[in-house]
Amino acid sequence: MRNIFLITKREYLERVRSRAFLIMTIFIPALMLAMTAGPVLLATRARGGPKHLVVAVTDRQTGDLIREELEKRHIDPASSLNGTSEAPRFQVEVDTNVSEAERAALVEKVKTGVVGGVIWASDEALAVNKATFISRDVSNLADQELVRQDLSRAAHKLALQKKGLNDTEIAAALKPLDVETVNPRGGAPSNPLAAFLAPFAMAMIMYVTVLLYGINVMRAVLDEKTSRVMEVMLSTVTAREMMIGKIAGVGAAGLTQVGIWAAAGGIFSAQGLSMMAGAKMFRGMVTPELAICFPVFFLLGFTLFSTMYAAVGAMANSEQETQQLQFLVAMPLIASVIVLMQVLQNPSTPLGVWASLFPFTAPLIMFTRIALDPTAVPVWQIILSIVLLVLTIYGLAILCGRIYRVGILMYGKKPTVPEIVKWIKYA
Amino acid sequence: MYTIELNKIRKCYDSFVAVDDLSFNIEQGAVFGLLGPNGAGKTSTIRMMIGITVPDAGQIQMFGKPFERKSLQRVGYLPEESGLYKKMKIVDQLIFLGELHGLEAGAARQRAMAWGERMEISGWLDKKVEELSKGMQQKIKFIATLLHDPDFIIMDEPFSGLDPVNALLLKDVLLDLKGKGKTILFSTHQMDQVEKLCDSICLIDHGKAVLQGDLKQIKAQYGKNNVQIEYEGDGDFLKKTQLVGSYNNYGNYVEVRLAPGADSQQLLRAVAERSRISKFELMEPSLEEIFIDTVGKNDA
Repeated sequence: MRNIFLITKREYLERVRSRAFLIMTIFIPALMLAMTAGPVLLATRARGGPKHLVVAVTDRQTGDLIREELEKRHIDPASSLNGTSEAPRFQVEVDTNVSEAERAALVEKVKTGVVGGVIWASDEALAVNKATFISRDVSNLADQELVRQDLSRAAHKLALQKKGLNDTEIAAALKPLDVETVNPRGGAPSNPLAAFLAPFAMAMIMYVTVLLYGINVMRAVLDEKTSRVMEVMLSTVTAREMMIGKIAGVGAAGLTQVGIWAAAGGIFSAQGLSMMAGAKMFRGMVTPELAICFPVFFLLGFTLFSTMYAAVGAMANSEQETQQLQFLVAMPLIASVIVLMQVLQNPSTPLGVWASLFPFTAPLIMFTRIALDPTAVPVWQIILSIVLLVLTIYGLAILCGRIYRVGILMYGKKPTVPEIVKWIKYA
Repeated sequence: MYTIELNKIRKCYDSFVAVDDLSFNIEQGAVFGLLGPNGAGKTSTIRMMIGITVPDAGQIQMFGKPFERKSLQRVGYLPEESGLYKKMKIVDQLIFLGELHGLEAGAARQRAMAWGERMEISGWLDKKVEELSKGMQQKIKFIATLLHDPDFIIMDEPFSGLDPVNALLLKDVLLDLKGKGKTILFSTHQMDQVEKLCDSICLIDHGKAVLQGDLKQIKAQYGKNNVQIEYEGDGDFLKKTQLVGSYNNYGNYVEVRLAPGADSQQLLRAVAERSRISKFELMEPSLEEIFIDTVGKNDA
């Protein structure tokens, strides 16, 4: 036991103190942040002030109605990152000249960038329920959608006005219906995006860390083998102690890293920093169930895969030699992610249930099912899943332990499959 | 009292017999040379001694008891081509290995410092292994082997990569340890080192012991029928003459073994006829010659 503890301690400290650990600790959340908040940030920054639009209409009343609608738009405060949340999104000018010549002139202005866009809503066009939005940014879907909504609303208002309704009646008629999604637990109405994204993000973190640290175990074994530290170590500890110590040390380092991320996310979201769009989403999502489930399934998954990775490392003489085997080991993990997509949409399909019981996909899928809705997963399934995982890990540990024990002393050529079978048979 | 006793140990890998009914004992306080060409089974034998692998047959006794892992805390093993953790600070590494051999961290640090002084490498203990030259690394590995003050020291090619000055330093340390009653096993094919240090040897080839016993006795058995000759001129005839049993040309001199019954004076006259002799010496065979002779005969 003392030896295992010493090996674990060394492995853990060397890892946690390394520069790579520090970089990963900062880099992964930064990457996630960049992926969630980045596009919003870029979109807002790029705009730089309200967009100047010209509305070409036959009569001023219609034009004013459209202008009113468009100028109500502000830059969305929720996604604003630069603090000028009250800045209007559009600045609108009404043009009552709807001649062909004027149209050509306006198009020219759009071309040269004098105006940001032209909305052509002459009476002829409106009569056939058709308007044209001339803009250089044809790919700016958000603006197009807003213009479409506002024009429709203005058109509806106009139609209702013509029917003789007053402003209050029109406002009541056009009031949008609010659809609220509530989960069956009857808790606080959850943000549907968060309900989907938080389990997804956590599952992805688990996937990345299990894969990353599994491969780390393999590298560590390979390193000891190629640098021949192995020989020195084996004169005092057994191969089994080395393998267990190695996996435990690397696993502890992985858990520390995830722990740091979770703590940092917790602090950020507690402070309600609008910067942390991602962390905000997790607020209230990390329930006590998940706080227990994540480490449990992470550790089970990591142990399962790192045991196999340790054997892969022991078999090979160089990193290149491990490529094929590495892929073979990672396959169930990659399959898990594919199944995950389906499970996220519908957590209780037979495929989802089977995948959450099958030991090689269970860590990721069972965790995701629990994360999506803990009450929807029968307790017996959770217990069965964990029991199967533990049994598989036990069996694999014996099998891989044998490969490991022989492999670490074999140098030179890459072993063939029959040779590996022979290694396993050595008592 | 024997430090280690090997009784008919055998190890096979599939159909390949790596060690074949090998027996030898090493007396406490002795310096023992385990010799043999590459692939003879030296490393396989050592691995069985310290429990890395288990013999298929035969018994091993260490410190008078059947092998048990606890005994390993009294063994220091320096494997051939062994390595260290590249990115780890040397002193931490020494403490780690010391702890694995049962030392407390504090004691291990103190000993590491003391050994650093003695091996003239103190200034490097705070560096990482990758910053060290090969010779320095060998010194560190040497310290790692001896840090826990083992009673039985096993060294596989310890002098490889050391310059003569450091080899001398190492040799002095080993002789000092021998004086303290430690048992030392060398596995090597560097015969000159063995000749200087070893009391007894076991020469193995194809997993079998082909020659073993007290080094002085073995050399005496071969008698003074070896001749070292330095000469100028044509020496090729030495290969053809009936007087010579075997012949080794070392460039600056040749070493010949007289054929059974041949007279050395006859050879002297024969050589003098064809060349100018600057040295003609009757001597015991060198271990290297015994090695080549025995292994060569075995292969023939």
